[in-house]
Amino acid sequence: MKLTIKTALLASLMIGLFTSCKKILELNPGTELTAGQMYRDVYDANAAVMGIYGKFMALADRYIILNELRGDLMDFTHNADEYLRQLSHHNVTPDNPYINPRPFYELILNCNDALHHFRQMRATNKLSEDDFNQRYSDLGCLRSFLYLQLGIHYGELPYVTEALENINDVADPSRFPRLPLQVLVDSLISFTEPLPHKELYTTNISGSTGTALNITLDGYQTEKFFINKKVLLGDLYLWKGDYRKAALYYKAMMDFSTSSTNLDNRYLQYKIGWGGGDESTEVIYSKYGDASSLSYTSGWGTIFEASDDRFSWEILWALPYDNKFKPENPLIKLFSPIGGNYLVKPSQVIIDSWNQQLQNPMGVPGATNGVPYDARGLLSVRTIGGQPTITKFISNYISQSASVPLNPLVKNGRWFLFRTAHLHLRFAEAANRDGYPRLGYALFNNGIPAVYAPPAGVTDVTNYQNTLDLDEPYKFDARMGEIPNYRSPWYRNIGIRRRALLQPITLTATNFTDSIYQVEEGLINEQALETAFEGTRWPDLLRVAIRRNQPAFIADRIYNKLMKSGMSVGEAARARHKLMQKDWFLPFKF
Amino acid sequence: MVGLACTILQGCNKWKDHTAITDPELNKNLLQQIEEVPELSRFADLLVKSGYGQLIAGSKNYTVFAPVNAALASLDPSIEADTARLRLFVGNHISNQLFKVTGNEPLRLLMINNKYNNLQGHTIEEASITVANRYGKNGYLNIIDKVVPALSNAWEFVNKDPQMPARQKAFLLSQKDSTGTNTYLATIADLRDEKKQYTFFVLADTAWDAELNNFKPFFVLESGNTDSTLDAAGRAVARDLVLDTVYRPAFIPDTVLSRYNTKLGIAKNDIAQTIKLSNGIVYIMRRLPVLPKHKFQPYVIQGEDYQFYRVDRRNVTYLRDKFNPVTGRDMRDVLVWDHNVAQFYLGYHLPNVPAMKYKAYWVALHDNINSNTGSFKQLLGIGTFNSSRLAYTTVNPNNFNEVYLGEFTLPYYNAMLNLYLTADNNTNDDANKITVDYIRLEPVL
Repeated sequence: MKLTIKTALLASLMIGLFTSCKKILELNPGTELTAGQMYRDVYDANAAVMGIYGKFMALADRYIILNELRGDLMDFTHNADEYLRQLSHHNVTPDNPYINPRPFYELILNCNDALHHFRQMRATNKLSEDDFNQRYSDLGCLRSFLYLQLGIHYGELPYVTEALENINDVADPSRFPRLPLQVLVDSLISFTEPLPHKELYTTNISGSTGTALNITLDGYQTEKFFINKKVLLGDLYLWKGDYRKAALYYKAMMDFSTSSTNLDNRYLQYKIGWGGGDESTEVIYSKYGDASSLSYTSGWGTIFEASDDRFSWEILWALPYDNKFKPENPLIKLFSPIGGNYLVKPSQVIIDSWNQQLQNPMGVPGATNGVPYDARGLLSVRTIGGQPTITKFISNYISQSASVPLNPLVKNGRWFLFRTAHLHLRFAEAANRDGYPRLGYALFNNGIPAVYAPPAGVTDVTNYQNTLDLDEPYKFDARMGEIPNYRSPWYRNIGIRRRALLQPITLTATNFTDSIYQVEEGLINEQALETAFEGTRWPDLLRVAIRRNQPAFIADRIYNKLMKSGMSVGEAARARHKLMQKDWFLPFKF
Repeated sequence: MVGLACTILQGCNKWKDHTAITDPELNKNLLQQIEEVPELSRFADLLVKSGYGQLIAGSKNYTVFAPVNAALASLDPSIEADTARLRLFVGNHISNQLFKVTGNEPLRLLMINNKYNNLQGHTIEEASITVANRYGKNGYLNIIDKVVPALSNAWEFVNKDPQMPARQKAFLLSQKDSTGTNTYLATIADLRDEKKQYTFFVLADTAWDAELNNFKPFFVLESGNTDSTLDAAGRAVARDLVLDTVYRPAFIPDTVLSRYNTKLGIAKNDIAQTIKLSNGIVYIMRRLPVLPKHKFQPYVIQGEDYQFYRVDRRNVTYLRDKFNPVTGRDMRDVLVWDHNVAQFYLGYHLPNVPAMKYKAYWVALHDNINSNTGSFKQLLGIGTFNSSRLAYTTVNPNNFNEVYLGEFTLPYYNAMLNLYLTADNNTNDDANKITVDYIRLEPVL
């Protein structure tokens, strides 16, 4: 009997234990939110958007390595590991960590998850129409941007738009068939084009304070933090080959400030114009004609460092790194010999290209000969500690005018993905292919007023210095005249080469087809001189090679880089042969 | 419990067995190893006698190159009698480094007497390594078939060796500045440096005098001080007599270039003797005539490297980068324009300029400066800014070629000669600008 009581007691105790188990074990985590707690109001939605951008920022080095080291302007250093060398040689092994698409897909699935919840929040009225449109469009565009990147590098990949619990499902071909690049681009356009919000964010959009996306976050204005939707659509249409639509979207950004009442903004923001005083974006010699007086503290070289009007006029999309918040700046590690690992350097090809340029004659100190090289070379690459160093992304750390960091532990910086020079070069590419090579030429050489200049002696410019006889989006009004008086929105436009004080390129074409061909060559070369190392080279080369169906366009450039590098000569012929077979893409190993 | 403890204790012994040193060689230090080899007994004696025996019996690591008894049979007894010389000699067979003789890469191995010996493959200097890399407790033992004598370095040779000819020796020792530092060692070649290897030519007294006489005329001083003239001529002769590399007697070519690009013609018959050094080799030459045209090289002065000016006009001084289609290269020149000073000049210092005749040239680019297409003139002033040794020369537009300016003679040696690029004597901006890429002075010999 005793035993029975004991057993009963024990049994009841056990039952008690088990029943309480459930509650004991179901503690909510103290510092992390569950899905149900996460998406409750617009602040939660904002946090989701910012969080995804924060994660995106950690991909900067991967983005630059894939887009530049595979191209012809960037080379690896002696410090680089085997995997970086493989990328440069176009000879990757499957275990190469840089070719793993997983980091991109993690972010894509984060976007999918957030988009899914935004839709739910809209359905339950937790988000207003405006708030939903902005946040949904933003992450939708960021996802399209990531997919375009993946398409460029992998050629064929699964297009996943639903929220997945398990990332490995991405690799399941029965659920997500792999789309080739052109089909992917079409899918991206059909998703991105109808997105409801494509404008920039104003500081206070929803009528109530504090919910806007354009805010000051950790001391940085978030205005240019977000992907520029029109530029993305321009890019998508350019990849598709729909040049008119691409040009329309690019032009919308070029004319962003055309109606501004601030005259400097009207003439200089996103327009490649002269002037701007101390905040000019031109290449500046403090004593014109004295080659030793090239300014490292003002002008073109400082647009990567400044945060005043130079930033506002030139940059369209940039994300800040600061030692006060995560993620850590990965670009110092990539580029800097001080405080970093110095893994990449400029290729001999781009150094030679800069040295082959000729600046305009200098007037007083010599009217027939200009400086015999492109000063943008000196402003993009400097010798630091005896090593040629790419300075564009580290100039907030080691200033253009210094050779050591002001504070070695404060690794602030900026990842700029898109700036006005890209905008004009891409618009020119689209316009050229759409049948307007002269307009394309003007934008990257010496500007619309100079190319459409009136004949000598004509002072009435009414019918000159403009392209108003063309269809939209190719209408530009760049008139500057005294009688009648004109100061049209584009009158300060000087073109990309003129902004760098270079002579315009010479065309030898005698017919329309050759003109388009030569302008396109010029654009690609100018893209190298102006925007080298910024993470667009491989896509630019690939786009033109696909468009022309000309594998040699890529293969010869890579061959040249490897031949001139001194460290890769043995790989040159093999890489050329591979690229000539249109074998341009990385293996998709998930 | 007891059982467990037993197992553990038993295990201990086994572990000890496992890690114990079983190779008996590893218990012997280098001295013990040497003493065990009968044919090294003589070297072992010397080790003990020199005091180095204790050193290599210690705990630091060494590499020893021990000569066999046969090689030591002919050792000069005076070395053994003099402790300092003995330590130098024995020390030349011991290296502080743990060095394993393996490959073929030649290298210079630092010994504990601070001299270096050349090691390549299985030879050290002249000796062959017959047994290599016998390891002991504290290093490697190598057995060699010849001794490696501790030689003098080049500066010790100059100072002490009776074969050193007196005239050149006296000159080298006399080269001292006010602090007593030897300027030859400081500026031409540090002959004391054991790490380097020099080819050092020494002239017999007659040859030295002949060379000095040959070059004396180029160093005549305005003051008439003949001692200083001889001194300057001596420096000009001596600077070319040392090369930064070693030429073995069998391989010395008939012409070598000095570090000042002077051609030295080496006639094998004129080599009186060769003496090996710890940092190179000495050739004692019966004669080594050098032609003035080989010794005196053209001067090239870059225009932008000016050192002084008449008045500060840096605000209108332009350093210009240009492409020169004649040479196919980029160039940097200097232009001063709109300075408003009659006979404005930029100045250049040129040290050690010998007395002789020179031809002068320049490249001066007037590429329509200030859109002016006329020509202008400027002067290369030798010694003074308005010197009449050369005349004003016209600079024509867009000429990238070298222009001949004329010739001039310097009657005296100049320890420091000033050159001037002088503007025209008026204040018209288009007439008084000056520009130059480089100036070249070519000796006429």
